[in-house]
Order: sequence, then C-alpha cells, then structure tokens
Amino acid sequence: MIRRRMAFLVLALLAASTAVSCRSRAREVVVYLSIDQVFTEPILRDFERRSGVKVRAVFDTEETKSTGVLNRIVAEAANPQADVFWSGDPVRPLLLVKRGLVRPYASPNAAAVPPGFKAADGSWTGGAARARLLLVNTNRVKPDERPRSIRELASPRWRGQTAIANPLFGTTTMHVAALANAWGEDALKAFLVQLKANGCRIASSNGEVKRLVASGEVAFGLADTDDAAEALREGAPVEVVYPDQDGMGTLLMPTVVVPLRGPHPEEARRLVDHLLSTAAEQELVDAASHIPLRADVNPPLGGKRASELRAMPVDYSRVADTMERLQPWLREWAGL
Amino acid sequence: MAPGMGWVVTMRLRRREEPLLLAVAGGVLVGLVLVPLVSLGGQLARGEALVHAARTLSAPRTWSLLLASLGIAAAVTVAALAIGLPLGVLLGRTDVPLRRLALWLHAFPLSLPPFLIALGWFHLLGRGGLAGSALGARLLFSPTGVVLVLALALAPVVTSLVVVGLRAVDPSLEEAALLVAGPWRVSVRILLPLVRPAVALAALVVFSLALSELGVPMFLRVGVYPAMVFSRLGGVDYAPGEAFALALPLFVVAVGLLVFERRAAGRRAFGVLGLRSREVPDLRLGRWRPAATAFAAAAALLPLLPLAALAIRAGRGRGFSELPRWIGASAWNSLLDAFLAGTLILLLAVVIGHAAARRRRGGLGLDALAVLAFVTPATVLGVALVATWNRPSLQAVYGTSAIVVLALAARYGAVGLRAAAVAFSQGSDHYEEAAAIGGARFLRRLGRVLVPIHARGLGAAWLLGIVFCLRDLETAVLLYPAGEEPLTVRIFTLEANGPEGVVAALSCVQVAMTAAVLALGAALLLRGRR
Repeated sequence: MIRRRMAFLVLALLAASTAVSCRSRAREVVVYLSIDQVFTEPILRDFERRSGVKVRAVFDTEETKSTGVLNRIVAEAANPQADVFWSGDPVRPLLLVKRGLVRPYASPNAAAVPPGFKAADGSWTGGAARARLLLVNTNRVKPDERPRSIRELASPRWRGQTAIANPLFGTTTMHVAALANAWGEDALKAFLVQLKANGCRIASSNGEVKRLVASGEVAFGLADTDDAAEALREGAPVEVVYPDQDGMGTLLMPTVVVPLRGPHPEEARRLVDHLLSTAAEQELVDAASHIPLRADVNPPLGGKRASELRAMPVDYSRVADTMERLQPWLREWAGL
Repeated sequence: MAPGMGWVVTMRLRRREEPLLLAVAGGVLVGLVLVPLVSLGGQLARGEALVHAARTLSAPRTWSLLLASLGIAAAVTVAALAIGLPLGVLLGRTDVPLRRLALWLHAFPLSLPPFLIALGWFHLLGRGGLAGSALGARLLFSPTGVVLVLALALAPVVTSLVVVGLRAVDPSLEEAALLVAGPWRVSVRILLPLVRPAVALAALVVFSLALSELGVPMFLRVGVYPAMVFSRLGGVDYAPGEAFALALPLFVVAVGLLVFERRAAGRRAFGVLGLRSREVPDLRLGRWRPAATAFAAAAALLPLLPLAALAIRAGRGRGFSELPRWIGASAWNSLLDAFLAGTLILLLAVVIGHAAARRRRGGLGLDALAVLAFVTPATVLGVALVATWNRPSLQAVYGTSAIVVLALAARYGAVGLRAAAVAFSQGSDHYEEAAAIGGARFLRRLGRVLVPIHARGLGAAWLLGIVFCLRDLETAVLLYPAGEEPLTVRIFTLEANGPEGVVAALSCVQVAMTAAVLALGAALLLRGRR
C-alpha cells in the first residue's frame, strides 16, 4: 500500500515537474509593466492574437507602482530577463537609460508622437498620458468649495480631510520631484511638512487614495486619471479637478515604452511597434481614461486632449535627478 | 583490488548514511538561505553602502520604528494568547458543543494571506463597507486596527497548538486533580502549565509572523519596520546592501526568540503536539457552559466575517461572472508551486526534523537557520535569491517556476521542519533502535520504520508546508517568472484599479482553493487514521 502511494507520489511529482519545465518558450516576449494590469492585459492579449507571439508579463503591485519592476530590472541586470518595460511614467525609464540597460529602437509607429514625448535615439517613446488630479468627494465638498490647487491639500480648511499616496512609491514620487523643480526644493519640503502637520493621510497607493475619497473617508485627495476613471465607473460620488489650471498647470505623465536588453530582441521590436500603434493607444485611452498624445487618437468620452489642458512644464531628465536626490529626505519625512 | 576498495567505501558510506543525508539536506538549506543572505550582505562592501547603512542604523527613527514594530508584534501576541489560550482549553478539553467544527472554522483564516483578510475587513468596516462607520474606519486604519486584524488572523496558531498540546497531557494527572478541584482550577493550575511548550511555540510563531508582516500594515497605513526595509528595495534608490543591514536587528530578534522558546520549552521544544493520549472524559463546565459556548462561537465566527464580506462584495460587483476573464492560469500556478515547494520542504523536514528531534549534531543549528529564514523579511530573502540565482547558467531555475519553489521552500522550511520534528519526537525511538540493532541502515529505517510510523505527522507537515506556500504573497511577488504568477500575486496586482468585485471574487477563489486543499489533506490524513 505504502509502495503504491509512493509510486503515485513520484509520478505526480514527475508530471508536475514536467509541466513546469515543458512550458513552451518558443516565440515569446517578456514585458515588465508598471501600468495597471486591468488596463494593459487586454492590449497584450490583442498583440498575442495578432502576432502569434506569446507575451509573458510581470505586473507591478499598487504599493510599489513603477519601482517594484524597475528595481527587478536593475536586480536582474547581470542576466536581463525583460525585453520591454512599459512604464506608467516617463522619469523612471531614464534611470534605466543611465544604467545602460536599454536597447534603443526607433519604432516607425513613433513618428506620430510629439517630439517632447520621445527620445530621438528610440531609448524611450511616450504614449497616452495620465494627469495628476484632485479627486473630490461630492458628498463632502460643496460645489463652491471645490479645491483648485494642490496647495489646498495643506490648507487648514481641510485639516485631516485630505490624502496623498506615499511619495516614496508610485507616481507621487515623480510629482513631488516635479514640484521641487517648479517651486524649489525648500518650498517643496515646507509644503510636505505642512501637509503632514495638517493631518493629510499618507495612503499606501493612489488606488488607496481613490478608495478613501470614494468612500468619503476624506474630502479629496491627489490621484491619477485612471484612478478617477475607475471611481467614476464604480458610480462613486466623486468629481475630477485638474489642479492649478490658472497657475503652474497640471502635471501630465505619458506612459513610456522602453526596449530593454532581454533575450528576445526581434519579438521585443514587434511588441514595441504594437504598443506604439494608434490602435493600442486608443485602447488604453478608452479603458483607462488616459489623455491622448497623438492627434489621430480620440480622447475618452468627457475627457480631454493634452492640448486642451494647461500642462505643467517639465524636464523629465531633471526630474529624474531630483527624484533620486530627494529620496533620503522623503524617507525621513515618511518615517521610513 | 578496486572492487574491494569500492566495497569498503560503500560500507563506510552506508554506516554513515544518517550524517551524510543530514549533510546533504543541511547543504540544501544552507544553499537556499545562508548563501544568498551572506552574498547580499557582501553588497555592503560596494561603494558607500556601508557608510549609508551605518548612518541608517544609527538614526533614532530606525530604532523608534523597530520599537513600534516590536510593540505591535507583542500586542498581537498578547491578544492572540488572550483569545487562543481559553479557546484552546474550551475546544480541546471541555464539553462545549460542536468543538471540532468550531476549531476548523476558527483555524481556517490562518491559511489565507493576511492582506486578503484585511481587504475583507475593509469591505466590512471601511466607511463604504457593509457595516461601515466613521468610527469603525478610524479604528481599522490605526495601529489598533493592525493589532486586531493580525491577532484575529493569528490566534488560531495558539488555539490549535494548545488543543493538540492538551492531548499530550498525561490523563492521570488531570483525573487526580479533578478529585480535589473544579474544572476552572484544573485548567489554570494543571493543564495550562503542562502545555507551556506548546504556548511558547505558539507565541514564537505569532510574534514572528506579526513582526515580519508587511501587507496588512501597509494596507492599513501603519508604519512598521519591515516597511522601512522594503523602502530600500521598492523605492527609487535601490539599495539591497542597506536593506540587508536594516534586516540585521530582525536577525537578532530571531535569535532572541529562539533562545526564549528553547528556555520556555526546555527539552520538550518539539514534543508539544500530542497524538497519543487515551480518551479522557470532557471537563464539565456546568453553569458556565452557555457563556463558554457563546465565547467559542464568537471566536469561531468572528474571523469568518471578512471572508463573508468579500463574498458579498464579489456577488454584488458581478465579480464571479467576470472571473474567467481575469483568473488566467494563476490558480494552477499557485497549486503547482505550493505542491512542489511543500514536497521539497517535506523531504528536507524528514531528515532535518528527525535530527532536531533526536538532538543529533547539527540538527538544532539547521532548525535555527530555518527559523531565521522564516523571520527574515521576505523582500530581503527574495532579493538575496535573485542576486544568487539570476545567472545565465542557472536560467533553467531562475527563468521558470523552479525559483519560486526554491524561494518558498527557503522561507517556509521551518514550518514543515518543526511539524516533522514534533511528529518524530512524539513517537518512541525504541522501534528505530531495534531496527538499528537488527542491522537496518538509516535509509532503510527511514523508509521501513520512521516514515510509516509517523506517516500522519509527516502528512500533516506536508499539508502545512503546502498551505503556507499557498498563502504566500511577499516571497513570490519579487521573483515569479514572467507570466506565471500565483493567484495571490494576481489579486495583489489587480487590486490596483481592478474592479473591486473581480478582486473580491478572485479572493474567494483563493479561499475556496485553500479550503479544498485542506479538506483533501484532512480526508487523506483521517483515512490513514482509520
């Protein structure tokens, strides 16, 4: 009896091991993403259907958005696994460019992307963008009290009623770095100290900010376009405010496609071409309410084009440097 | 000449089968845990990493956060003991009705990822939740909330160990005490002191799990020390050497915990789970029975509330109908990884657990190493494994699910090892000695005597290893091969803007999958009993 069980166990183990090792690895491409899985997976599946190339993806978690997979690419530098990085912001890929982990490719589909949103050598190319916006709970904030600037996050009027995501992770990192460049680092630090003193909640992620605003736990918070779209889709009592339209402008963050030094260069180029196509950008715009960069892509229902917004002027390369420099201070500020 | 030499070598090897096998198993454990951690520690020598690490370690906020985390872990342990000790006695030794069902219900959430339970509490108590209120939400998103969520999730560790520990108590002691004292006094003065080793082990496990927990405090926005370690790996300035340095105080805590456990349990450290007692009449609670029943029912049902909230959220959000679109192969990946890792853990546990239970040379050291891996922040262990295994020559491991299997075995080896050691220490070593005197070598004794005699205990160790691997998130999320994520990772990544109904439905699949594995395992174990 025991021998029969042992034989069964050995057979089961062999079958399981075979299942692990025999997964087809022919014609595949490995992509790491820091854009939400819920929006990007259908686009990747579409590529699989059209090209016959299997896509193997690693998605970031909400908490480590943009840095989890980025650091995995850095950690794997000695033996690169990823062929393409599809980033939710344009700054972190510059850290990969600086480390020499990119294999530049100028896709023909990048021609329609405005020059400010791509590198001439093809090391990165921008796509549909997100805006950093204020998500407002309409049950808690009267129409005539709607905030107009991100500075109101630190206003005593809203003491203990606002939220931002932890600036150590995700798009908030880039946002505070951009603010530091716009205002000066001392002014930014003073703002963040004031924010904390004002009882602003430091959420684990933008998704968490959305949840806090949608449930009415806070009156308003700083989030991204896709978080707002999701809250609106769920029927939450929220409204979107593009901040500082009468001042420095709203921060826009294009998504970015970065070809890496992975083991499947040919498939990687095909995937980059697909991700930079009009169809893929339209799909992302429609699904995630992103803001189109290209003229041949329509904005989502009720959404805006980049040209219709007063955008905050940003030098992504400078923001990347500031972002690295600010980290120790931000960790101290966050208590980590 | 040559065959003669070969025969001599073979005979010598056979005589030394046990230490050789222990050396092989120990080598695997050292290779999976110690080598990666030491090589990660070597990154401290790079550039100014050592200077940065020294500056970080000398900063007051580092120590204040560590103290805060130790405080939270201690509070979770005290709360879990406050729930688990009386409940363990009630469910293990008294005439409370439906005790077995209550124990199963109470213990089940332990087999689920804690962040999933926190998500369930959010759907229940968050401002927009089923029983949401401003007060409930404020309580949930606070250190008190973290303590309560973790205490309820981890209390079953105490309850279960106390229940099985009570079975090891010599019934004659209890019967003698009952002649002169009531059930309450017998429980407090006789039974609980006798299960002290089980309580010590439970406290160690609860404290370790609470101290290394990252998902729940991050979700509930409470700063903890593991988050500080994580910030060196998940932030923009990737600094693995500094993360390792920050993990050093946790290693010291781990050693302290082991010393505490060994002192509290003495030589009975592994002999806490009893499967051998004869039937003893239940302690009669008399007029206290209704109140005790109400307490047991509340403790059994309370941890199920967040799971019910998840199911309701999934149902209302049409999450179940959307499941086929989003689940992919993640459930299969979870099962396969957990099955293979659980099996590897069992293989290591049979050899090392036996050595630890029989106090063979090196056995206790390897046990300590496994416990060290258990309390090391998963992120640190994960990055150390990436640095060690991500080489072109090892692509067959790093590029496949094999890396997840190895990482899970490294992290949860202690669970299976302890369970196997307990099983071995419960049985008499007379059979083994008799077989040895009869000339049976170690492998033969293992296959013909030890494994058959302790089949149930080893089966339980295997099941426990599989369940812990199944509930893992923090280890796998760092190194799963592209496109082969387990279900816990898929839930966590989809949680970012994924439809809440779908995320809740996927969580329900995780719950159902774990329940099925547990039910199947329990059925096999009980079948063996009959």
